Amino acid sequence: MKKKKKLLTFPSIIVLTVFAILPLIIMLVYSFQSDSGSSGVTLENYTNFFLKSVYLKLTYRTIINSLAVTIISLIISYPLAYFMAKKFKGLKNIVMILILIPFFTNQLVRVYSWLIFLQDGGVLNSFLQSVGLIEGSLGILFTQGAVVIGLVHAFFPYMVITIYLALERVDNSLLEASSSLGASKVRTFFQVVLPLSMPGVVTGIMIVFVPCLGTFVEPRILGGVNGTVIGTVIEDQFFEIYGWNFGAAIAFVLFAMVIISMTGLSRIGRRYDNE
Amino acid sequence: MRKYFTDQLIPTVYALMALAFLYTPIIVLMVMGFNESRYNTLPFSFSLEWYSALAKNEVLINAAINSFVLALITALICVVLATMFVLGMKTLSRSMEGLFRSLIMMPMSIPWLILALSMLLFIRFLDLDKNMFFVVAGHVVISLPYAMLSLQARIQALDPALEEMSASLGASALSTFRRITVPALAPAIVAGGFLAFMISFDNFAISYFLIPAGTSTLPIEIQSSIKFGFTPEINAISTVIIGVSLLCLAIVGLIMGSSIENMIGGKKK
Repeated sequence: MKKKKKLLTFPSIIVLTVFAILPLIIMLVYSFQSDSGSSGVTLENYTNFFLKSVYLKLTYRTIINSLAVTIISLIISYPLAYFMAKKFKGLKNIVMILILIPFFTNQLVRVYSWLIFLQDGGVLNSFLQSVGLIEGSLGILFTQGAVVIGLVHAFFPYMVITIYLALERVDNSLLEASSSLGASKVRTFFQVVLPLSMPGVVTGIMIVFVPCLGTFVEPRILGGVNGTVIGTVIEDQFFEIYGWNFGAAIAFVLFAMVIISMTGLSRIGRRYDNE
Repeated sequence: MRKYFTDQLIPTVYALMALAFLYTPIIVLMVMGFNESRYNTLPFSFSLEWYSALAKNEVLINAAINSFVLALITALICVVLATMFVLGMKTLSRSMEGLFRSLIMMPMSIPWLILALSMLLFIRFLDLDKNMFFVVAGHVVISLPYAMLSLQARIQALDPALEEMSASLGASALSTFRRITVPALAPAIVAGGFLAFMISFDNFAISYFLIPAGTSTLPIEIQSSIKFGFTPEINAISTVIIGVSLLCLAIVGLIMGSSIENMIGGKKK
């Protein structure tokens, strides 16, 4: 009986092994082959990537963009999550639902909505002109700024949720204890609330920063020619240039960046969990 | 007075600002779908032109049907796989369970771009043409973790004593499964299926890389319209998608509110 039940777990594992693990291994093999058609193992794709300043610059830009998105998301999310967990009462559920709803709207629809909102002559442009803040065109679409705005919009709700869940677990009696022992509100926040909510903050950073590294839709659509990042370079290798082996190598560099940031962040997270 | 400021006014204003950021572009998109302007610009004059154009746009409608069918198949497969997995999970050793679970959750943390590319190379490695089988496989791989999250939360809350009791009262394994386990898991199965459906319906990256030429899904159509020139028909179809998603969300939320809450950890203790 027990043996039979164990078999029930196999279909999922087989699907993942065949359609996720195996393809990744094959991609790794491709990344060590040359695009020029000569057979044999070569490091040329990787050396090409790491020796050309173009690609290093793009890597740098991808990381900086993702960091910017993460920091702005944190600035929006932490206070919001804090207010939801500690200040709102009846409002809390409504705000939570409103934060969750965009999860269920299509990613491309959201990108498209920013495209028409930010475009020169678009609604934001007309609005800012009519209140006299700017003259002429807005000029924000097709810049890195537009990409960052679009990505913050896509990812910050995840962070609100992880931080909210961590703050919710912070026992209110701890706050009362801290203030009855004479600590100011500010001190209570920095010495009690913030450290206790750090696991949620770290998870939130992970859930925003890591997917940002691999985006290509938002940079392409909202950044235009100025939006090139690692993700769009990889896309081009497959759809425009047909340098599949080089594309596979860049994808693995991206994969490595993802793994490094995840292990780093989860190590930091664990340190807070143990406290 | 000061307490009113710090406890009420500032938090409310802050939340409203965050929500305004979240919703303004989406609302503008919806409103502009009812505007005569071809370029999504003001001034506003009401028109249903883009909706009637959409009704005649077979490319967009076919793409929407494709997305729907693909998401439905994906959701069904994910629900079956996830249900089987959580039922068998308890018999695994601790380390095996951990390993299997992290394998299934892995696609949540790897950029889908990478998964899509690796599958594309896999198809080339097998010397096959792009086909719908691999599109479905890719969608299952990325949607399965979400179905699994929902079911895991539920089965952990399920009291094993119920099944034992049923067995000790003489019910056969099959009837215990049918009468106890399935009804207990039903809300999580529906919620998990819904999540998997949404993930698949929304997905662009996997479909974009794997779909055979001549077929398309809604996200792919939206992307290519953005690339090659679009009209507010895109606003109209977006509004329809958002409306339908919200309706489904409301229905699922009403039926199984508590299990969704469990899933995001709201009531975990």
